[in-house]
Amino acid sequence: MSREIQNENPTILNVSQLPSRRQGKATPRNGPDSKYDNILFSKHWPWGVSKTSSFWPSDEEDDGEGDDEYAEEPIDEQEIFDLISTISDPEHPHTLGQLSVVRLADIHITPFPTERLDPQSLRTVLVELTPTINHCSLATVIGLAVRVRLERVLPPSYRVDVRMKDGSHAQDDQVNKQLADKERVAAALENDTLKGMIDTMLKTCVY
Amino acid sequence: MASFKDWALQYVLSDNESAQRVIVEKAAKGKQIESSRANSTVLGNWAASVHQWLSTASAKDEDLVDDGEEGDDGSGDIIARAKALGFLAGTLEELDQSTLKTDQVRFLVGFFGSMFSYDHKAGITAAAKALRQLYSMKNFKPDMGVKMVDDVCKIKEDFRLQTASTRFEIYELFLSLLQDESVNSELQHKYGSSQGFVVDLLQICQAERDPKNLMVWFKILAGILANYSPSTEVTEEIFKAFSVYFPISVRASAAPTGITAEDLKGAVRSCFSAHQRLAPIAFPFLIQKLDQGDAITVAVKVDILRTIKACIDSYDHPQTSIVPYIEKIWNSLKYEVRNGEVKETIDATLDVLRAVAQKLDGTKTTKLDPSMLKNYFDLVFKDCRDDLSNPTYTKQAGLLLVTVITANVRAFVLESATLIDCIRQNLRQPKSSTHTRDLILLLNSLLKARQELITNRTQGHPEDEQQLRSESRAHLDSLFHDVYLPIWVDKASEPDSETVDVLRKVIQGLALLVRQQVLGSDGEASLLCSRAVCSEICSLLTQSLIKGLALSSNDNATTDTALEDEAVLAFRTVVMRYTDGYAEFATRAAAEIRKRDWGTPSGYSLNALRDLLSRLAFIGCSEIPVRIATDRPPQTPFSPLQHFITLTATLLGLFPLSSPPGSARFASSSKEPLANCYIISALHGGMLHFCDACGSKYTQEVLVTYSGSETNWIEEFNSLPEDWLQQLRQGGRVPKDRTLCSVAEDDPEVYRQFLRLSLFIVRNLYRAASAGTQVPWSERVLAQVSSIAALVVRAIDEKLQVSCGLAAAAFSFFQPTEAWDKEKDPVQLKELLTVGILEGLWPGAMVDLYQPGGLAEGFMCDTAHLGPIPSRLSEIRAAIGAILANKHKGGPSTSDPQSETIKRVLDFWGNQMKIATTSNDIDTTTFGELNKISMYILAGATARQDKNVLGLVPVLHAAIRSQHQNGEIIAQSLGILVKDNDLLSTENHAVVKRFYKQWAYNYLAKPLYELALPTKTEAWQAARYSTAVLSVVSNCPFKVYEDDLEPLIRLLITTLNNRFNLSRQVSLVHRVSALETLVEILMNEPDSIKGHLKAIISGAVNVHQDASQEREEKFKDLVKGAPRNNDLHLVMCRRLVLQLLGGIPTKFEERHLLPYTLQMKRMLATASGDPVREVRKTALLARETWAKIAV
Repeated sequence: MSREIQNENPTILNVSQLPSRRQGKATPRNGPDSKYDNILFSKHWPWGVSKTSSFWPSDEEDDGEGDDEYAEEPIDEQEIFDLISTISDPEHPHTLGQLSVVRLADIHITPFPTERLDPQSLRTVLVELTPTINHCSLATVIGLAVRVRLERVLPPSYRVDVRMKDGSHAQDDQVNKQLADKERVAAALENDTLKGMIDTMLKTCVY
Repeated sequence: MASFKDWALQYVLSDNESAQRVIVEKAAKGKQIESSRANSTVLGNWAASVHQWLSTASAKDEDLVDDGEEGDDGSGDIIARAKALGFLAGTLEELDQSTLKTDQVRFLVGFFGSMFSYDHKAGITAAAKALRQLYSMKNFKPDMGVKMVDDVCKIKEDFRLQTASTRFEIYELFLSLLQDESVNSELQHKYGSSQGFVVDLLQICQAERDPKNLMVWFKILAGILANYSPSTEVTEEIFKAFSVYFPISVRASAAPTGITAEDLKGAVRSCFSAHQRLAPIAFPFLIQKLDQGDAITVAVKVDILRTIKACIDSYDHPQTSIVPYIEKIWNSLKYEVRNGEVKETIDATLDVLRAVAQKLDGTKTTKLDPSMLKNYFDLVFKDCRDDLSNPTYTKQAGLLLVTVITANVRAFVLESATLIDCIRQNLRQPKSSTHTRDLILLLNSLLKARQELITNRTQGHPEDEQQLRSESRAHLDSLFHDVYLPIWVDKASEPDSETVDVLRKVIQGLALLVRQQVLGSDGEASLLCSRAVCSEICSLLTQSLIKGLALSSNDNATTDTALEDEAVLAFRTVVMRYTDGYAEFATRAAAEIRKRDWGTPSGYSLNALRDLLSRLAFIGCSEIPVRIATDRPPQTPFSPLQHFITLTATLLGLFPLSSPPGSARFASSSKEPLANCYIISALHGGMLHFCDACGSKYTQEVLVTYSGSETNWIEEFNSLPEDWLQQLRQGGRVPKDRTLCSVAEDDPEVYRQFLRLSLFIVRNLYRAASAGTQVPWSERVLAQVSSIAALVVRAIDEKLQVSCGLAAAAFSFFQPTEAWDKEKDPVQLKELLTVGILEGLWPGAMVDLYQPGGLAEGFMCDTAHLGPIPSRLSEIRAAIGAILANKHKGGPSTSDPQSETIKRVLDFWGNQMKIATTSNDIDTTTFGELNKISMYILAGATARQDKNVLGLVPVLHAAIRSQHQNGEIIAQSLGILVKDNDLLSTENHAVVKRFYKQWAYNYLAKPLYELALPTKTEAWQAARYSTAVLSVVSNCPFKVYEDDLEPLIRLLITTLNNRFNLSRQVSLVHRVSALETLVEILMNEPDSIKGHLKAIISGAVNVHQDASQEREEKFKDLVKGAPRNNDLHLVMCRRLVLQLLGGIPTKFEERHLLPYTLQMKRMLATASGDPVREVRKTALLARETWAKIAV
């Protein structure tokens, strides 16, 4: 698709600067002396017969890292961010997260994910996008991609709402209207060119 | 007898190559030419046999000239004629080389030579072949060679009309003639320096394009240049002939010749570098090509640079062949590095510059005038000096300078002082942090290269070593105080990310500085740095490593340990040479640690302690110290083990760091003093690192085959004082241990002595731990000590294990009294210590334990003293049982008393199972614990494929189907017998038969398939059997059960689709095993489940529903405040279902999946809202695979 690049010099964040679940956890030692850390500072005791008894009973740092994998954690804003921040931008070889089009602070889930609800009850995910420039004609496409991505991965009890952040786009009203209109969204996905473009954008999403 | 004429006719008429060969063979050998000893008449007949084709040829040719047309007959004649000549050439090929007489050879040379003048259409292929044959004849004379060359050159322009293979024959002919010395001198004699034949050659061979021919052609040209001395004009002509091909490349061809572009490049390159007389043309030509700038690709650039290097490398007389062009080369090449961005070109350029320096220095045997080298360096230095003060180009200029200066010893000794001085000046006024960093980097690379020159000094010219001995060292001596220290002091106070980079380089520089050696006038190497400087460096490094402990968590917020990690590596380098440094560091660190109160340390302090101790261990023990002279003798005499001794003595001196008063020993519920664990961890780490160091220094084979004598170290230890290590560390006060002091650093004895010291430490730790007086022996410390014991014992060979009596020590803990009495001392966590030693023993060293009624039997049959349940003790007991049951060497027959022991043990446990499943004597909780022990013992014996296990199989099967609840426990845990188990690893000298899993599966699980189906037996019995089978199968690799897929899949489907009468936990585990197995089958042999897809999918969905529902119910309980049960298996169930369902679309065609697609999409959409994140991820992956299927 030949068109002029609209924003030639967007600000790009490094992948390590993006918010992630890892932050706040102790980083594992990786110096030259850490070669045998798994033996020397093992969290498991060496002769465990069953998995449940294999932790040191008295380890104060033992936050159950081994159980982490199977701990119950609701779908939260970070998870939504992880799902959509890896979408590629249609004009730059970077992801929406790196370009700050998607920001963690602009993802809202209602009711709060921490509130335990009946799994059947509805939740709404609101994603507010910030285009890199306020007259970006690709804003609708980006919004569409985010919408498609979330609809593909979230369970049916989640409603998805994608809009431009207030004041971030010259025509945010129109764009929001387009994105909220189910029929127009469905029609847009019938368009092969548009669908191809969105599929390319979603290729970089890992799962 | 057939005549030559007949043969010739047959040959001409034949189209079959092998038939033709038979004919010429007959002509040559079959009592004809050879047998007649080349009688002139016979030979005449032979030659005349082709006359009829030749005579028509000449007539036809004349006609052709007349009417200028070529009819069918004409081309037929040419073919026939070519074949006829082929007959002659073929006969020559078959002929013995000594058959023909000189005049006959001469005649034939004339005959075939004339073909090149007269018969370009039909004669050339055969003639070329024949001439090559004639050249190899015994009676070939050099003047005939000259004639051949002359004759062949007569072909002129028609050469290019010949086929590639014909041309190849001619090239080969030329090559053999020109490589022949006698022909060579004959040619020289005839043509003199004008080398007229070369001009002819060049004329006929120009415009060759066939890769295979080009290879030979270039070889011919290179040969002429190297072996003949052509005049300048001829040389220029030759140069033109090959340089037109440069840079050469190959088009991909439909019929590949096997010649690559690299081959051709190499061949052209060898022409360029064939002789120095090409220098005046070659260098300007190549440089002009290079200077085309962006017009050429990287590959071409690299080709040009490599060609220049090849010329420099091979031209003799550099004074005339290279020196005049150096300036030109340098001026053109420097920009490739200065402004270059492509690594390949930069590397190739530096190779050229290095080659120049090496050429100007001379060879291994003869040195050249040093002024040439000096002028070259001056040229380089003049251009780079200014760049050093320009941050943009510092790195590149440094690269150029280092390359030139470190090319050889002479350049380095001559010029290093100038360069270092220049760097120093620039460092005084750096433009930026990166500028400083680049300059330090340059200095570091100089030091590194210097060390390499010193190390390799004996490989060059003897003069090199002399130069190194007399090298001035003033500019090196002051580096620490003038360069590195000021920068460190300047930057270390507030490191930000840029200065961290600089500091890292400084640290690397310090390490390189300490590595530097200088040669004395007698040639002996010693350290450049004085001990005082080394000590200063050590205290700088110590400072940066203990900083973490000294600061509070608020002051030390950075999590980036790059600087410390660099310091660790540098420190290791330093203390391996300046050995006193390690003792200083250890003392400082210990003092710093003691200053703190470790009763209730913060998490930060604990981490700082862990890091410091772990680094202390790594620095001292991950390499073996090197003995090298210093300005003064070291404080403690050198020993390769001295750092290891220092480390262990320091750590044991620190232990225990904290002993909370009044806390009960082994109170596993209270908070464990981690500080103590970290000390033992560091000790363990030190040993692991030292083992690695020995492994890499002495190679693993030396260590393995290094068998010990009959000595008993344990007995030796008894005569040593308890504080032997401390005394060794301080040295002097005790009579020195002779073996320890005298061992040289490259003697594998070091490893043995290391083991001896380590065993001493293990012994002392064991004695202290089992003495029952000290508090710090928490469970975790004991486990760590036990791991140390395993490490040390494992490394000792069998003989020494026997002579030291280590098997008994596993139970006596090295105490002088007999094995400890369990009745008196109920502290059974000590059994942890037993595990460690047993883990490391060879089966051969454990024979004594298996005496009837001996220790092994006692331990394996001990069901008492298990204490409160659930207890970790049963797991320790299980571990010991597994090892003891496994490492039994067995006697010559099954009836010897020792094998009886194992049989008795297994019978004992068989009996226990019987009792447990037939009476109500043992409740399920107690039996759960006992069952662990029995299963582990069985697992140990199974890995060895002990026949006695088979005797137990009926008992096991009976127990499984019994109505007692305990039967369920056995069924569920049967998989332990084949489960991968760290205790039973060959690294630990366990006896593991290669196919034991197959063996166990065949006896344990296979017979149960039929019985496990509810149609065949009662439902509850079937459930038990099914549990047992799946427990075994899910722990086996796919290969083991791949022959029984049909009954297995039936069983799996039944399991997924039915609710069995099993306890909740067991039924969950059962389903998890089933799902695991299904996933495994799907991955390995998907076709086998193709027919069952419907049942499998509906079963999996059922299981998922059940698991989700159960979780929901638990969730409701949780709200009410019920305790949270472990629902690991529930989560695993859900995840495995999703994994299975997600894997299905990747293995089957769409048509098999269509009926389920909608249902799957709906189900997976819901599942992607699972409360567990990992399960959600699996669901998304599954969703993606199903999304690809169009509904």
